[in-house]
Amino acid sequence: MSQGVKTRRFIEEGWFHDFGQGLSLTGGRCPACGWIYFPTKQVCPACFAPDQGKVPLSTKGKLHTFACSHMGPSGLPTPYLIGFIELPEGIKLFSLLTQCDPWDRILKVGMEMEMVIETIRQDEEGNEIVAYKFRPSRGEPS
Amino acid sequence: MRAVAIAGIGGMRFGKYGDRSLRVLGEEACIKAIRDAGMKPREIQLAYVGNLAQWEWGQGLLIGHSVLREIGITKIPITRVENGCATGSNAFHEAWYRVATGACDIALAFGVEQMTVASSEKILNVFTGRQHAERDGDMGNSAPGLFALMARRHMEEFGTTREQMAMVAVKNRKYGARNPEAQLTQALTVEEVLTDRMICDPLTLPQCCPRGDGAAAVVLVAAKIARKYAPIPITVAASVQVSGSYSDTASYTSFDTDVRAAAAAYRMAGLGPEDIDLAEVHDCFSIAEIVHYEDLGFCCKGEGGRFIEEGDSGIGGKIPVNTSGGLLSKGHVIGATGISQIIELVRQLRGQAGRRQVEGARVALQHNGGGFIHTDTASCFIHILRN
Repeated sequence: MSQGVKTRRFIEEGWFHDFGQGLSLTGGRCPACGWIYFPTKQVCPACFAPDQGKVPLSTKGKLHTFACSHMGPSGLPTPYLIGFIELPEGIKLFSLLTQCDPWDRILKVGMEMEMVIETIRQDEEGNEIVAYKFRPSRGEPS
Repeated sequence: MRAVAIAGIGGMRFGKYGDRSLRVLGEEACIKAIRDAGMKPREIQLAYVGNLAQWEWGQGLLIGHSVLREIGITKIPITRVENGCATGSNAFHEAWYRVATGACDIALAFGVEQMTVASSEKILNVFTGRQHAERDGDMGNSAPGLFALMARRHMEEFGTTREQMAMVAVKNRKYGARNPEAQLTQALTVEEVLTDRMICDPLTLPQCCPRGDGAAAVVLVAAKIARKYAPIPITVAASVQVSGSYSDTASYTSFDTDVRAAAAAYRMAGLGPEDIDLAEVHDCFSIAEIVHYEDLGFCCKGEGGRFIEEGDSGIGGKIPVNTSGGLLSKGHVIGATGISQIIELVRQLRGQAGRRQVEGARVALQHNGGGFIHTDTASCFIHILRN
């Protein structure tokens, strides 16, 4: 049992990578047909090609739809916000939403969003589990 | 393929039966269906059982054999199937296929589930744990969440309102009150639906189906021998199974599975949506029923909200939907749900639906969707029945 010192860890180690401009989500890219997807896969689901490449996914996208959940897993304080983010790569990414209070005034379908890396919950020993979320964009549109 | 008919049905009121075993629930439904067909248990030549999971405790394997041995059905092939929330329909589809292809003349399909013994946490984990980390419960995913996301997008694209979604719950409760096998039978107003506890905005509690325990069974026979067993045999005009396409370009206001399964089912039956007299569709959430109206061709895309508002899906309307009260009133008893939908349609086509009877019903459609991966249901079954 770890006492005192708490750690932070990614919910999935393979999701995040610094491609040179800070951490971004790691997508898979098929060298044969060019399809981009998330998370990475063993083969391309479109053409079955092996040896898939890795690419940084855009950290900005459009809010396709959203909802406010008043129930959920015990580690996640309610209410919490979820949405689908449409990335420029053509990926619809399911994501928790953050930093948008009051959500029912701020969130609009089609608005620009950007990725942040935040704690989503603590494990049983108090260590922080970290993942991606999206917030209303503060920078340039994608 | 040869014609197949439904000769016997066995349902029960879904509810909380934590004091009974899964096995005993299954027995009750099978005994009723075999009696309804006026058959001896030894006449059953093959059986499929739908059971998604043993949710909390107890024996999770060989449930079909355990149930059937108790009622004198042994030696024959018995197979359990799982296909998410469409598990029961999968059992029916497999039994139909075996009779249709001549592998046997008489088959039993039943579904059984006992969900009220499990915690919400356990159920969420069974649904979303481990396989797709980016979509699991820790990332905020849940069934109400996915349908709330669909509702929001449908509102945005087509102007569907919270009131229209609430009307689905009002209608289904109204018919649930007329069904002795429904779990929730208290009438509701639109106002009451909208002011009830918020589960996942925009969906309130009465717009989310409850879970439950129970079982449902049917006996299928080759149509050529159906008259021997059933005064009013109900023919299976189409039986279709498809799986999701999970497209990233999907707008999330439609189920691609529904559209493809409906096209195949209408083609198989040589019928179109205009021929359907009533339907049981998978109303796990209010918005789902609205989307199914559109995807099954009961109305144009985007007009599902108007379809409910104008009474088109009520008894006396264009296509009465979920006269049983639907999942919203009966509860979703996963393994049994699909077969329970078929039982309602058989009652309607036999003219035995009592105070919820659709007069002159000749052709009925059953729709059952299972699971949710990315932007689509994982499995979808459509059956078209006629008398």
